[in-house]
Amino acid sequence: MFEPLISNNVVCHALEAMIFASVACSILGVIISRMSLSSIGFTMSHAAFAGAAIGMFLETNVQIAATLFSMGVAALIGPVSDKAKMAADATLGVLFAMSMAVAIFLISYMEYLGKGSSPGSLLYGDVISLYREEIYAMAAICLLTIAFVLAFYKEISVLMFNMKIAQAAGIRVKLVYYVLLFIIALSVALSLNIVGGLLIFVLLVTPASIAGQFCFSVKSMFIVAPLVALIVSGAGVWAGFWFTLPVVPLVALLLTGVFALSVMLSQKRRINKKML
Amino acid sequence: MSIIDLKGIYTAYEGGDKPVINDLSLRVERGEYVVVGGPNSAGKTTLLESINGLVRITHGSAIVCGLDLQSNADEVRRKVGYVIQNFYFDPFTPFTVEQVVMMGRFGRLGLLNRPKNDDYDAAEKAIRLVGIEDLAHKTIGTLSGGQQQKVMIAHNIAKEPEVLMLDEPFSNLDFHAREYLQCIFRDIVRSGTPILMVAHAFDGLPEIRIHLIVMNRGRISLDAFCEASEVESIIRTECVW
Ligand SMILES: Nc1ncnc2c1ncn2[C@@H]1O[C@H](COP(=O)(O)OP(=O)(O)O)[C@@H](O)[C@H]1O
Ligand SMILES: [Mg+2]
Repeated sequence: MFEPLISNNVVCHALEAMIFASVACSILGVIISRMSLSSIGFTMSHAAFAGAAIGMFLETNVQIAATLFSMGVAALIGPVSDKAKMAADATLGVLFAMSMAVAIFLISYMEYLGKGSSPGSLLYGDVISLYREEIYAMAAICLLTIAFVLAFYKEISVLMFNMKIAQAAGIRVKLVYYVLLFIIALSVALSLNIVGGLLIFVLLVTPASIAGQFCFSVKSMFIVAPLVALIVSGAGVWAGFWFTLPVVPLVALLLTGVFALSVMLSQKRRINKKML
Repeated sequence: MSIIDLKGIYTAYEGGDKPVINDLSLRVERGEYVVVGGPNSAGKTTLLESINGLVRITHGSAIVCGLDLQSNADEVRRKVGYVIQNFYFDPFTPFTVEQVVMMGRFGRLGLLNRPKNDDYDAAEKAIRLVGIEDLAHKTIGTLSGGQQQKVMIAHNIAKEPEVLMLDEPFSNLDFHAREYLQCIFRDIVRSGTPILMVAHAFDGLPEIRIHLIVMNRGRISLDAFCEASEVESIIRTECVW
């Protein structure tokens, strides 16, 4: 995409990958944070992480393994989270712990065996050695996320408002909810080897929180969050290569910095002087 | 044909040791104002949620708005208004009152269809009817409990349901608001749309014939017609505390 503009292929791929990953994750992040699905996002990202470790261990395609594993967890989470909240939280906790255990077990074992190509990249991500196909896949999921939000905006907005009211309104809550879970699973799994299992949560949570500080309407959150994510990832990739710093943690730190700034500057927290 | 026709229904919650609704039968016709009374935990909320399929009926037959509830729950919910007793939403998600009222139309619009002029008209009309024009552009999270209740009533009026169910809709409302809303409900009933209301306070009840249901321990212990002025005293004597 940026080849004509950027002569260095590695920088170019990194930039594209970071932009697609951060836009997809930040849009989903708006939904996740407003539907109090944070623990679901958390569980899903660790499931993808475990899936990737399994894929690496079995020497199969890491992305596909990550995708399958997180889709599997999504299919488990769906029916559970329909029910009582307590039960869902407990199940999510168990799935999360299980995913972490599987991942760490396999990574340690692979290190002991000297097997697997850089298992550490599962944890920290790797924007340097990406394949074309991975970037295409990420671009596709980014477009899918945008299309999903545009097509189902009406339903998503009621779900974000209140799940029970959405049901009572006669919206096909289950359908939309399951599609949402699968899109989260896909995005998280594909973003994994770009940003790594540890930092993917930053992309899911921070841009949405930044948007929450500034936006006076839900619609604008869906625009501001990916915009912030896009600008900060772009800046992060640029600065990372320019100053030879690790790109992904840099993006994470920059986003956190922007969040801190937005809390300080937010109009929403100010009490209008004229009212007093 | 009855708008609501329940025959011998049972409803149980997952994990509950016994059914909450026991062998209950009820018919509601067009133009009826149904008041559901009864002590706490008698199963009033569960009855309403059985009628629109939010909780599953385990036995018995339920025809609502001409549809078999068991196989058409989504479709039934599109036609049944339901003002929930306790709702919670994130006060920092900035939905405006206008948007929330509009959401009442989304079920009947169906997937992928965008709101059209008549949807905007219905939402606007509901806002005017309930008298919350001044709140239309406010964020719902910044409103008081009573104002939020009015918004949810407008949301369900905008839906233009075939039957309107309300679960203790007056709990946060002052005496003036209660009387005002009761007039609206009277007009809704007069237009033919039945109302099913769970309530504990009956001031301002319109002077029309009331279909009174009293529930005790998951059963209907009284199903009769009476005058509005008699409702309170009948419920007092019928409730098993
Ligand atoms: N989600 C639930 N799970 C299990 N039991 C419930 C649930 N909701 C209500 N109940 C039980 O069902 C009974 C009837 O509750 P409800 O219909 O809310 O009564 P009411 O509205 O008349 O006060 C109560 O005993 C209550 O404990
Ligand atoms: Mg109740």
